[in-house]
Amino acid sequence: MLTLLLDIITTAAILFIVSAGLLAIFGVLKIVNFAHGAWLTVGAYCAVVTAGLGLNPWLALPLAFVAGAVLGALTERLIVRPLYARPLDAILATWGLSIVIGQLITLWFGRDVQFTVSLLSGTVDIFGTAYSLYRLFALAAALVIGIGVTFVLEGTRLGLSARAIIMNEALARALGLDTARIRLVTFMIGTGLTALAGVLLTPLTSVDPNMGLAWLIGAFMLVMVAGSSFGALAVACLLFGGAQVIVSTFISPILGGITIAVLSALVLRISSKGFSRV
Amino acid sequence: MRDTVTQADKLVLEGVTSGYGPIAIIRDLSLTIRKGEIFALMGKNGMGKTTLLKTILGLVAARSGDIRLDGASIVGMSPKSLVTAGVGYAPQEQPLFQDLSIRDNLRLAVQSDRDLDAALDKVFGHFPFLQGRLAQKAGTLSGGEQKMLIMARALMLGPDLLLIDEISEGLQPTVVARIAEALRAERAANGTTILLVEQNLNFALSVADRWAVLKLGEIDDSGTTQSDSRARVLEHLKI
Repeated sequence: MLTLLLDIITTAAILFIVSAGLLAIFGVLKIVNFAHGAWLTVGAYCAVVTAGLGLNPWLALPLAFVAGAVLGALTERLIVRPLYARPLDAILATWGLSIVIGQLITLWFGRDVQFTVSLLSGTVDIFGTAYSLYRLFALAAALVIGIGVTFVLEGTRLGLSARAIIMNEALARALGLDTARIRLVTFMIGTGLTALAGVLLTPLTSVDPNMGLAWLIGAFMLVMVAGSSFGALAVACLLFGGAQVIVSTFISPILGGITIAVLSALVLRISSKGFSRV
Repeated sequence: MRDTVTQADKLVLEGVTSGYGPIAIIRDLSLTIRKGEIFALMGKNGMGKTTLLKTILGLVAARSGDIRLDGASIVGMSPKSLVTAGVGYAPQEQPLFQDLSIRDNLRLAVQSDRDLDAALDKVFGHFPFLQGRLAQKAGTLSGGEQKMLIMARALMLGPDLLLIDEISEGLQPTVVARIAEALRAERAANGTTILLVEQNLNFALSVADRWAVLKLGEIDDSGTTQSDSRARVLEHLKI
């Protein structure tokens, strides 16, 4: 029972880590970045590169954040910026970008599954139950990311400006806010966080050029339910991630794989705003 | 209204045309507002008053003509550049961030948080009720309080040119009087030039030095606020 509870909590944490970057971009820019899966893959390959160079595996985290942010800046400037008024075209453009990134990764690293050095290994004893130390670390990482994002949004001028743009971009412009710069920085934070998530996923999943795709639909559905609220995202991850674990454990792992998508669709059918008032 | 540009001109519009899509709302409009002047622009609904303010602020592109601030053309400049240059704006449409606190609404008006405390002290002088309610969400204020918050935000940086869009709409006379007092005080203290778009004749003519009536995107009549102003403007505003 304790293992099940820990699985639910840590699965929710992993889903939050994977979805946070997508929400940062969707919440402020109203753009669904369908290259999200590719950025997860880019992050994971930063771990591969770090391992290949024999560096401390923890260095993959800052490396991935910086690589994701820099690539995100180029993407925002060259691809996304002209498409803010055409969000459907932006979905197609970012989807196309994800294919390009996947092919480039294949070109350099091949199609084979890559292996990385685990950031943490072993188990820890919790009330007599041995539990994965890394999954607990993922929970801590999700809390750090959540607190960090909350601090940026609630405690900094950048966050205030981003919230103002979410609420009323026309007024934000009229007050002299540099909406273009705030969009760029937000996109960079979003892609940086996503690449960071890619590193954090490496002990939990195989690393190959298409690894991000498996996470894309779940993250997309969770973000649609969360709207622009990180609090709502945390609730959605806990509820739907919990349901996924329960269905996978007691019914079928295959059905568990579609639980998040089905529940998200149901919630959005009942309320188009999902959990965004959380 | 006047072709010769002088050192005393704050804002000059020459043959400005602007609008949305294929429709021209402002048509070949020329207007000069002098430094330290309060200028009231009036007109019926749909005549282009708000579009004119948005064109000056760069929110709507000028298709032709020139707009000069202190003698320099500002056509094509971004709203951010104009705000930095000292242009303040009190909009009529969705003018507040309803879910942000009063403090955050005011904070967004200053370029840096270092300037915040001094700017807050300044607007508390005009609207003291804000002082004890900074944490309150803007959307929970009454209509009159929201209008005073809009004015306070526009005054935060001590703008050289203030563009105000129908601030008195739906307000009780005491609140209108408070806003009028704040505008006069701001002009007296800082020499602020104010372009006031209004439909409230009593308010507009009580604070303005000159007025103009806008009709279908063009200046239909103009004058100084003398004894016959009210009758002349009323004649233009008849439905």
